[in-house]
Amino acid sequence: MIRHTALFTGYELKKSFSNPIWPLFGLMQPVLYLLMFAPLLKSLTPGGTTVDALRMFTPASMMMIAVFGSLFSGFGLIAELRNGSLERYAVSPAWRPAIVLGRVAKDMVVLVVQAVLVLIGAAAMGVRIGAVELVLVLLLMAATGLFASGLSQGLALTVRDENGMSQTLNLFLLPIMLLAGLFVPISFAPDWMKFLAPVNPLYHAVEAGRALFDGRLGDPSIPIAFGVFVVLAVLTTMWSMRSLGKIAG
Amino acid sequence: MKELTSPMIIQAQGLRKTFTTRSRKGAQTVEAVRGVDLGVAKGEIFGVLGPNGAGKTTTIRMLATLIAPDAGTATIAGHDLRKEPAQVRRNLGYVSQAGGVEDTTSARAQVMMAARIFAMADPARATAEVLDRFELTELADRPGRTLSGGQKRRVAIAIGLVHNPPLLFLDEPTTGLDPQNRANLWDRIRQLREAGTSVLLSTHYLDEADALCDRLMIVDHGTVVAEGTPSALKREVSGDVITLRVSEPERAAETLKPLARETRVDDDLLRVYVDDGEHTLPALLRALEERGLGLTSIALDRSTLDDVFLAKTGRSLRDAGAAV
Repeated sequence: MIRHTALFTGYELKKSFSNPIWPLFGLMQPVLYLLMFAPLLKSLTPGGTTVDALRMFTPASMMMIAVFGSLFSGFGLIAELRNGSLERYAVSPAWRPAIVLGRVAKDMVVLVVQAVLVLIGAAAMGVRIGAVELVLVLLLMAATGLFASGLSQGLALTVRDENGMSQTLNLFLLPIMLLAGLFVPISFAPDWMKFLAPVNPLYHAVEAGRALFDGRLGDPSIPIAFGVFVVLAVLTTMWSMRSLGKIAG
Repeated sequence: MKELTSPMIIQAQGLRKTFTTRSRKGAQTVEAVRGVDLGVAKGEIFGVLGPNGAGKTTTIRMLATLIAPDAGTATIAGHDLRKEPAQVRRNLGYVSQAGGVEDTTSARAQVMMAARIFAMADPARATAEVLDRFELTELADRPGRTLSGGQKRRVAIAIGLVHNPPLLFLDEPTTGLDPQNRANLWDRIRQLREAGTSVLLSTHYLDEADALCDRLMIVDHGTVVAEGTPSALKREVSGDVITLRVSEPERAAETLKPLARETRVDDDLLRVYVDDGEHTLPALLRALEERGLGLTSIALDRSTLDDVFLAKTGRSLRDAGAAV
């Protein structure tokens, strides 16, 4: 089981990096967000300095990368459904969940590299964060990414169509993004939005991330976010593994 | 131990599969496979011939453990299809109609991955060997999307064979290939027989079934309509077929009935099935002349598998394929 998962993870990673331009573009994205959004947000933040803005925006950008990067990874699965390679793996002795788990694990590896880049960028611009907080932020990001990646693979295997998949994702992305307070904190929002925000799981991840960057380790948002995302990640990963059984159709 | 005693590598009885599709018009059921018995001997190339939609792919997918049959049993390489799917998969090479060659990765990486999944002792060597065997070594490091249709097919088969399975499934292996690539692939499939690999292949090409298969079965609407060696099947219909274009085919058929095993009218074409075409032809021409029937053209051919299909189903395989 573990051998096959490792095998598929390695294979997917090699595939991702066989043309290094695309992963490079993917890695550039978070750094660009940091460079271009932080100055815009400066006037909105209470302290008014770049570091204050970054402290608010860095955790948000990390969660955003976790969700956005991983949500689109299921498209690869649709291509493999069509070219028959998924079917071929299903008729091999491979442990079937490994086919999906390998992709999810690949997404996690890419996320960690992206997170490290963001943190280096933020540190270079003056943001400091404690070691415990750092580890917790990375773990939270991984759980968020796991949720999104599992959701994406499951959706791909259920929808089985690039068009349907991109429409479905677009429908959900905007409300999820705005209701999480990614760019503008929810505290600026009208009451009905404040009321709706806690329904959005990403809101909790962003709140917890901000608490961690502020060094508020005792903040209740942290256990809430971990609780929400561990449960969601387990659910979506299990869903994606079960959806694989439908390959035969 | 069963493998040692049984001469058959596949033995299936009463396979059935019904699909339910839901659309706006409500649920529709399609009986894709309706009780198929099938036996493939070790080392032979066995063909499943039939028009599109006859249930060929569904049958192969059931035998490949991809979909569970609604009814029926099968033993493959000595293992029960339902109870030991993992053992069945280990003994199987499966090349689907789509092929399963990925666009972004090289042929070598894909073959190597298959070798690793099958836990080959030396995956690199097994990969190099099978690539060499299919003359792919020079193309091996190019990404899949740069390969031609024929090259992709060879990669697909190389992936399916890297673990040296005793049994290979080929679902419509030459569909979409040009004549040259088809002939090339036929030679390679024949070489598999020499190497002792059993092959189950599906096709809707008559010439392919005729040229490649030791034995075959003809399927239509999910049932087996005929089974045997290509020559035995053709003999069963008749030795030769005389195709005539005449002014009054119905009357001509009536006239020629005493000379023929069977006659069949198809628009203005009249097919006359006879045992010995060369010797029947003079008598046939005389009979037409006596009745004053105008003859536009005449052709004498050995009967083909299409004549078998026509005799069993009442329609030509070419028409049946085009209709779907």
